[in-house]
Amino acid sequence: MHVDIWIAIVVAAIGTYALRVVPLLWTQRHFNKHKANNTEARLPTWLSVLGPLMIAAMLGASLIPKAPSAASWIATAIGTVVTVLVWRKFKSLGLPVFCGVLSFGVAFGIALV
Amino acid sequence: MSQLSSKSGLKQGVIDGLPLLGGYIPVAISFGVIAVQAGFSTLEATLISVFIYAGASQFLLVAMVASGAPLWLAVCMTLLVNVRHVVYAPNLVPYLPQSKAWPYLMHGLTDQIFALAHTRLPLMDDAKKVDWFKGVSMVAWLSWIVGTVLGGIAGDSLTQQWPILDSVMPFALPALFLVLLAPKFSSKLWSATLFVTMTAALFLALSAFKNAAIPLAALCGAITFYLLTSHVERKQSHAR
Repeated sequence: MHVDIWIAIVVAAIGTYALRVVPLLWTQRHFNKHKANNTEARLPTWLSVLGPLMIAAMLGASLIPKAPSAASWIATAIGTVVTVLVWRKFKSLGLPVFCGVLSFGVAFGIALV
Repeated sequence: MSQLSSKSGLKQGVIDGLPLLGGYIPVAISFGVIAVQAGFSTLEATLISVFIYAGASQFLLVAMVASGAPLWLAVCMTLLVNVRHVVYAPNLVPYLPQSKAWPYLMHGLTDQIFALAHTRLPLMDDAKKVDWFKGVSMVAWLSWIVGTVLGGIAGDSLTQQWPILDSVMPFALPALFLVLLAPKFSSKLWSATLFVTMTAALFLALSAFKNAAIPLAALCGAITFYLLTSHVERKQSHAR
């Protein structure tokens, strides 16, 4: 592969890492400054609101099946309901995900037949 | 969530990261397949997964390079897709104890690791947090790398032989997001805001704005949050 393509990949890798680490360093410095002054550091409201919103956006985008069809959409709906019901009962992480995937698979298989 | 206190941080992190395998491995296999088809070797595709490690943007970069697009444009588009990451670390900082490891660990701060960390870290002892993050991000990173290698070597035959890998296992990601988001439906304000965000993301991802669906949907959610908050404040001031 050409050297210029590798340079592009290295720049993209460094840039992606910077997008992840620079905000951390900046916010940590902001919090440490407040700590040194014995004042309480808080995130701006707009930034703290964006955290849960990004997770909600990822959920919405990830609900689209890889190969959208009636069968996969029905399976998605069933998998979603089962995941929520199992979470409400057990309030854990792994079991609702496992039951959700299992019910998605079963529903998808049945819908295809 | 009581099991958080009984296990070591590393072990808990590895366990919490296991649901990610269902989503990461099939997508990484697809990346390996597409990268090889685009003219990259398996080693090159793997190195991209090791060092860039950002799902959608890797597909975009490889596709643009293969199509002969200007390299500066390919890099700019990759970074534009990844710019959403800037809000992740600041949202975690209030829960992070002092440690020199955090800047290095940020390489592993993907969408899914952020969602997990944002929900799990507030419930954890400070002493376990660094190890938990190492465990969960190592599971995710290694599964992404192994998936890319498998995709590069075995290609399409792998998903053809194991169709369940391609069609069923990826549901682990929305199921995981659902479980992480469920406790946040704590009030009418948040329920309405999150519902609008999810719906906007769903429709945007189905439209031509697929790569911008997440930040645009978050923006819709933020506008909803501020409209509802100001509506409630107006009602309260009228009532006084």
